Amino acid sequence: MKSISFHDQISRNKRKSIFLIFVILLVLILLSYVIGLIYPDYFFIILILGIIISLSYILTSYYNSDKIALASVNAKPASYEKHRQIHNIVEGICLASGLPKPKIYILEDKQINAFATGRDPKHSVICLTTGAIEKLDKQELEGVIGHELSHISNYDIRFMTLVTVMVGMIAIISQIFLRSLWFSGNRNRNKSNAIIMIIGIVLAILAPLVVTIVQMTISRKREYVADASSVKFIRSPTGLIRALKKIKQEHEPMKVSGAVSPLFISDPLKKKLSGLFQTHPPINKRIEVLERM
Amino acid sequence: MITMTYWIILIIIAITILITIIYYNRFAVLGNRIDNSLAQIDVQLRKRADLVPNLVSSIKGYMKHEKTIITKVTEARKVLLGAKNIQDKVKAGNQLQSALKSIFALAENYPQLKANENFLQLQQELSAIEDKVAYSRQFYNDSILSFNDLCRTFPGSMFAAIFSKKSREYLKIPAESRAVPKISFD
Repeated sequence: MKSISFHDQISRNKRKSIFLIFVILLVLILLSYVIGLIYPDYFFIILILGIIISLSYILTSYYNSDKIALASVNAKPASYEKHRQIHNIVEGICLASGLPKPKIYILEDKQINAFATGRDPKHSVICLTTGAIEKLDKQELEGVIGHELSHISNYDIRFMTLVTVMVGMIAIISQIFLRSLWFSGNRNRNKSNAIIMIIGIVLAILAPLVVTIVQMTISRKREYVADASSVKFIRSPTGLIRALKKIKQEHEPMKVSGAVSPLFISDPLKKKLSGLFQTHPPINKRIEVLERM
Repeated sequence: MITMTYWIILIIIAITILITIIYYNRFAVLGNRIDNSLAQIDVQLRKRADLVPNLVSSIKGYMKHEKTIITKVTEARKVLLGAKNIQDKVKAGNQLQSALKSIFALAENYPQLKANENFLQLQQELSAIEDKVAYSRQFYNDSILSFNDLCRTFPGSMFAAIFSKKSREYLKIPAESRAVPKISFD
């Protein structure tokens, strides 16, 4: 793998992130516009309020995404004394990749898993489960941590954060749309309103589905790239291969929300369904690709 | 027609200036990365040297009969701290590393030492530093690689000539440390 392709991946991620921010903004403003049309008396107030709310929604989730993700899985910071080996491995691979050291968090769970989040390498977090720390040896941990640090250096974390924000947003909007039907069903029943309502319902039903599928396909491609960059940092695929083999033998799902599952190194929910709804590429395929390196 | 040519020339000049700036910055960024990674190697070597006195004081009580190896470690540390350029530093660092390795190998014969909390912590810390030295050297050579790629491929090579940037040397592992150590029977 040439270094140039990693540069491409980074600029592609940055470009897509900006694009996604605009899409989120556009959707939210469009939504306030539609709501404004339904209540013409308050059109401008709704529109202005809508813009203010959307901007603050995007800004808070962009700047606090790491805290939100960590809080939602209930992770605790890793102390330097107790988890010295982890700190040393992270520091080492940061030296190999030229990244600043991320914050390290520990998540109490028996399953071997890990994730990275944040908005850029300077504000990044890497989180390991206690299961990973107990069951993996040093070389395997290096592979896994290398994989997570690649997500950071490739700016996958920023993009995935924004995708998660968008998924959350569309879920909220569709809920609001469907619920508002109960309240205003009888009062404003003229033709134009009916059409807007129908469009709203269709969007509300379809949008979350489309977004989930998009989210899953993009996150799968990223896993292969992160595996490859991990090998580039460590200069050996052995550790990661062994770690993935250990992960493969586990079956117990983790108790985390589906919204954060694409962030993890392997699907924490251990879904058996293959195809479109998988957030991660099959482990066997990943091991196969790594073994060919 | 004249305004047309005028505009075309203007656009060409603007593009040329833009590309020159981009390449100038590219060289600056990659050059800085090399300097920075060099500093990182230095930091790790210094950290290792700083731990040596602690190690020596913690093993002195146990390894009374291993004077030669202890002096070897202290000597290697002195050489490392006195080294001026990075090649010498890395070379001294390797010598220190191999001296430390023989200390840890000898420690196997001292069960009391191996039970010493302080010693174990130092051993762990020193082996982590060994990894970090290797990683920072790897990043240094990676940085040199991207710099040299830029210098040697077109159009980077052209700008390299203009800004008088030359491709840089990789950090080589000194020859003696790669050679198989001689075993002497005396």
